[in-house]
Amino acid sequence: MEDLVRIRDLTVRFHTYEGVVYAIDDLDLDIRQGETLGIVGETGSGKTMTALAILRLIPYPGRIESGSIVFFDKGLRSELELLKLSEDKMRSIRGCKISMVFQEPGSALNPVYTIGDQISEVYLLHQRQELGRQAKRRIDSLLGNGGTLAASIKRPFWRWQSRLYNKIAEGSNPLEPRILSHIPLFRRLLWRLKDEAGLLTVSMLKDVEIPDPDRVAGRYPHELSGGMKQRAVIAMALACSPELLIADEPTTSLDVTIQAQMLELFRRIKADRGASVLFITHNLGVAAEVCDRVAVMYAGRLCEVAGVEEIFLHPMHPYTKALLEAVPMPGKELQTIPGALADAFNPPPGCRFHPRCPSAMPTCQHERPKLKEVAKDHMVACYLY
Amino acid sequence: MELRSYIIRRVLLLIPVLIGVTLFIFGITMLFPPAQRATLYVTNMRQLSDLPAIIQKYGLDKPFFVQYGTWLNQVLHGNLGWSRAISMPVAQAIPHLLPATLELAIFAVPLIVLVGIFLGTKAATHKDKPLDHGTRVVAILGWSLPSFWLGLVLMMIFYGYFSGLLPPGRLGVQMDILVDSAAFIRYTHINTIDAILNLNGPVLLDALRHLILPVMTLSVINMAFIMRLMRSSMLESLGKGYILTARAKGLAEKVVVNKHARRNALIPVITVSGYLFAGLASGAVITETIFSFKGIGWWAWQAAVMLDIPSVLAFALFTATLFVVINLLVDILYTRVDPRVRLGGAVQ
Ligand SMILES: Nc1ncnc2c1ncn2[C@@H]1O[C@H](COP(=O)(O)OP(=O)(O)OP(=O)(O)O)[C@@H](O)[C@H]1O
Ligand code: SF4
Ligand SMILES: [Mg+2]
Repeated sequence: MEDLVRIRDLTVRFHTYEGVVYAIDDLDLDIRQGETLGIVGETGSGKTMTALAILRLIPYPGRIESGSIVFFDKGLRSELELLKLSEDKMRSIRGCKISMVFQEPGSALNPVYTIGDQISEVYLLHQRQELGRQAKRRIDSLLGNGGTLAASIKRPFWRWQSRLYNKIAEGSNPLEPRILSHIPLFRRLLWRLKDEAGLLTVSMLKDVEIPDPDRVAGRYPHELSGGMKQRAVIAMALACSPELLIADEPTTSLDVTIQAQMLELFRRIKADRGASVLFITHNLGVAAEVCDRVAVMYAGRLCEVAGVEEIFLHPMHPYTKALLEAVPMPGKELQTIPGALADAFNPPPGCRFHPRCPSAMPTCQHERPKLKEVAKDHMVACYLY
Repeated sequence: MELRSYIIRRVLLLIPVLIGVTLFIFGITMLFPPAQRATLYVTNMRQLSDLPAIIQKYGLDKPFFVQYGTWLNQVLHGNLGWSRAISMPVAQAIPHLLPATLELAIFAVPLIVLVGIFLGTKAATHKDKPLDHGTRVVAILGWSLPSFWLGLVLMMIFYGYFSGLLPPGRLGVQMDILVDSAAFIRYTHINTIDAILNLNGPVLLDALRHLILPVMTLSVINMAFIMRLMRSSMLESLGKGYILTARAKGLAEKVVVNKHARRNALIPVITVSGYLFAGLASGAVITETIFSFKGIGWWAWQAAVMLDIPSVLAFALFTATLFVVINLLVDILYTRVDPRVRLGGAVQ
């Protein structure tokens, strides 16, 4: 399978008053076309930062220090080096080609705008031309029928509207609609764009199995349940049929039955749309259910990447093994991973896991293990292999 | 709750508020001898020479509640008494003086709100950069200067040192005469607006020249306050999850700040600005007095100094009404900005 995103030597640091946080350290990771790649790891291991780095949205005082993130744009059939794109170009990718669902549906939606408005915003931003085309088609059908007096009076106005929307449909930022959209009262003349976006929004809400989507579109976030909000957020992320959907612990804050529905939804989305999904979780059970491949992170580095069955049946990295031991099972005594998480300010040298590793060797303390392909499609960074 | 019934209920609430306020102040005036209070019932100049008749007629030696009832009855018939401070009936004094105060408010309120919000937003988006430090210094200065002191210093510099550059009063002598002449139509008695409606440039300029210092004195502190509040509220809003969502949608930073962050950041600012504007009434007393800007506030001070009881009572009624109306407006605005708030209810 071909790659969709290829991350190489990615390093992200936070320059804080207390010191430098090594959030991500020389990370190599590929996301393939049409796959669901899981990232698992304890809290603070850098899962969220990896996702935000792809969107170039690392929060201040964090910074992408070095590395490369190449995105293979299926639509344009071209390779884009995301870290070198202009901010404008990057914005046209965010929410359109690559979109993200955040952990907390409660805070991910703006409390003062309706669900419909917030989803429509994505269409109005990224699919203006398409909306213009739709609007023109609708006006033209109005022009075509009716010989009544009222219709003939309105006809010149419709003709002008038709031309206006045609300009929008043709793109390249024409002057007339641009001026109109900056003048408060005249902005109304472009209302059909909003209407078309609203229609797409409702059908998108239906797609993520929200009952009564027409009504929900007019609702404010506080009027919906957590599961509904998460569906709305997913609808927002899927609005423009992205090539990569990043889901950062999308089910963690939901209760178990809703969680199961949500995982079902993700499976269906992938099957329907053929998009790649980067699925971040610290729950291995969840990863086993939805992922094709799983990447394990520890303290800002990648430990192991392999197919989902391979990693659960033949884990190689001692940290992966420890994680699997720590999954609660009936009739099995619960194991915890000994030792504390690596200190983000002073990470241990060599292999970051060596203070907690049962098989640590002298080299592990000062030499960093490289990621190697140990078996077919199975990469591990550990001196044992 | 429906908007109209809410407004009606709140306006009805004004009645007990006004009764409470007047009971309190009327009670205090009972400390003065009847002759001092007789002006409460005077309607024209001639009656001033025969106060004993007034005392007799309106029972100023009767018990408190009887007197209060008599007074209330007079007020309901539009007789608010005689203002010795400006030698005219109080009922005429209010429309006579209100335009000046309104004129101050017309300039001060937008300055406070718009500039405060604008600078607060800029300070938040430029956190820890020179612009942020600059506005912080201005805010601290604005905050730590008492408005009467600021007013006096401004006056010393721009009237004293620069010999009459920005004089006190509402208009210069010449313009005052011009404005009262038949050639100038007083539509509103608000000088700047009338000057524009009369297409009279010199009056407009002169009016503005007289407005600069009082408007500054009245706004600086409040503007500094709104600015700092807006800054912290904006910073909090910018750290919220929905801002990251908005950025991840691909929205331009301008839209993220001006649409998604600002609307949320305005919520606490609106709450506070209600109190702030009610407080402007007392600010107006100080400002108008310092600059002899003859409006409601100047009159209140004059009245207090001259023991002009009807005027003081009228001022109390005026400010209480203003307070209730402003709070009503703020409550309505609040529900417009924050959908989680229902009229008359708490946040869900
Ligand atoms: N604003 C910040 N300032 C300083 N350090 C930060 C900041 N945000 C994140 N970090 C650091 O970046 C590292 C990676 O954080 P990240 O959020 O990617 O972890 P995560 O794997 O997503 O954890 P979780 O499971 O808790 O979401 C952490 O060590 C954290 O301390
Ligand atoms: S490299 Fe060494 S310390 Fe690190 S996991 Fe492997 S054996 Fe353990
Ligand atoms: Mg995270």
